[in-house]
Amino acid sequence: MNAAIAGLGMTELGKVYGRSPRRLAADAVRLAAADAGLDLADLDGLIVSHGLGGSPGIELAETLGLRDLRLLTKMDSFGATAGAMVSYAAMSVLSGAATTVACVFADAPLQPQQSSGSAYQRDAREWYGFGGMTAALGLRSVNAYYALAAQRHMARYGTTSEQLGAIAVGTRQWAARNPLAQMREPITLADHQASRWVAEPLHLLDCCLVSNGAIAVIVTGADRAASLARPPVHLWGWGQGHPGHPRERGSGFGLTTGAAVSGPIAMKMAGVTVDDVDVCQLYDCYTYTVLVSLEDYGFCAKGEGGAFAASGALAPGGSLPTNTGGGQLSGYYMWGMTPLSEAVIQARGDGGERQAPANDVLLVSGNGGILDHHSTLILSPHPKGA
Amino acid sequence: MPLEIGVLRRDGRTDPFFDGAAAGRLAVRHCAACDRWLAPDAACCPGCGIEETGWADASGAGTLVTWTTVHGRPAADGTVPPPALLALVELAEGPWLYTRLTGVDAPREGLPLTAVFEHPGEGEAYLLFRPA
Repeated sequence: MNAAIAGLGMTELGKVYGRSPRRLAADAVRLAAADAGLDLADLDGLIVSHGLGGSPGIELAETLGLRDLRLLTKMDSFGATAGAMVSYAAMSVLSGAATTVACVFADAPLQPQQSSGSAYQRDAREWYGFGGMTAALGLRSVNAYYALAAQRHMARYGTTSEQLGAIAVGTRQWAARNPLAQMREPITLADHQASRWVAEPLHLLDCCLVSNGAIAVIVTGADRAASLARPPVHLWGWGQGHPGHPRERGSGFGLTTGAAVSGPIAMKMAGVTVDDVDVCQLYDCYTYTVLVSLEDYGFCAKGEGGAFAASGALAPGGSLPTNTGGGQLSGYYMWGMTPLSEAVIQARGDGGERQAPANDVLLVSGNGGILDHHSTLILSPHPKGA
Repeated sequence: MPLEIGVLRRDGRTDPFFDGAAAGRLAVRHCAACDRWLAPDAACCPGCGIEETGWADASGAGTLVTWTTVHGRPAADGTVPPPALLALVELAEGPWLYTRLTGVDAPREGLPLTAVFEHPGEGEAYLLFRPA
């Protein structure tokens, strides 16, 4: 037996106010079940991932009125959680521990009348202890940590801001074709270069959006999925990698990610290589993470991610369609559910104007923490081994 | 005037570090059992898992690993807070510290640095690194 994704549920995404993360999560699960042609009562497993808000957790089962679940848990590896949830759901289905598992992520960090930046930024006059010391010195948002990583890659491999910009421009070209994307106005490399610095070498257009909303998928057995409402998206392989970069001499921080471990595991399980991958959905909290993930997966040699991106390979018409919905840079920021949801849409052939020319093998990445956690999924519209 | 720092206070875990900073010494964690040097905020020794590692003074010498100039968000009136040059520094003893650089015009990987302490009128001393 194999496992497949049978349902996808997406709430409104972006500046969606007035609904709590718990409510958004419940809505996404209902939408995913309806998409699959299932009743909520058909679910016997629920896995929950939350964003910064700290909610929802396993109490979501009560919100949804779910009874007699065989699997109920909350998982947390930040942006790598979506891939981890789906692989845990697949393993549960394959082992017989559960038959039909909903995996959901929800968050609502945006508040009306508040800038997007403030949602993930700390500001204070008084600081306490070690965390306070780094914040006091200026490390007050994730941006600065990723900037340190990107700068190290630049210094070591000659990666340039223009190469990062090529990723932003290409991703926006995809977003222009996606009605759900929040940022659809075309941008040029000059726009990228002229956008304000956030933390050098990262411009504003190197950074992802902040969004409210929720996305859920339903994982079940491939045979059962084939009898449901929508075409199954088969799970061929999965893997995780948690490099645990030590903060000491010899660390690979900024140079390599958990994609180098999780990618080969997932691709071996799927029986594919990078040459077989038609579409990539890479976790793009920053342009830099796309570039370094491409290297670590082996789509190009280490250090050549910049040149690869600048070649236009990732943009519409390129050889490796990547982040075809506009990713998190231009589409919507739902942590690992952004790349996963777009992969499901592409695997089903539902991409419309942005449908990639081939979709037999899709690679989905999740990245969590400050390059601390990584997950990889290999999906296909075709049954595994068929 | 670089990005405003604010007032730094000690908490229960940080007294040896800030006592050292006040005296111009860079106190970091050191696991005597493993003879392993760790960052001052290390939660435990990865060698043996002990949480209550000791403290020892590092030399204050280090090299630049990577850096970023952080720009504050523009205010509603369009004014922009001054930027700050932040960095990861590798101490001669091995551990990495997140810190701020002062007096560095042209950062580069491997730039030799040395620890300096700023003593504000209120709150604890700050650890910065300047060119060696």
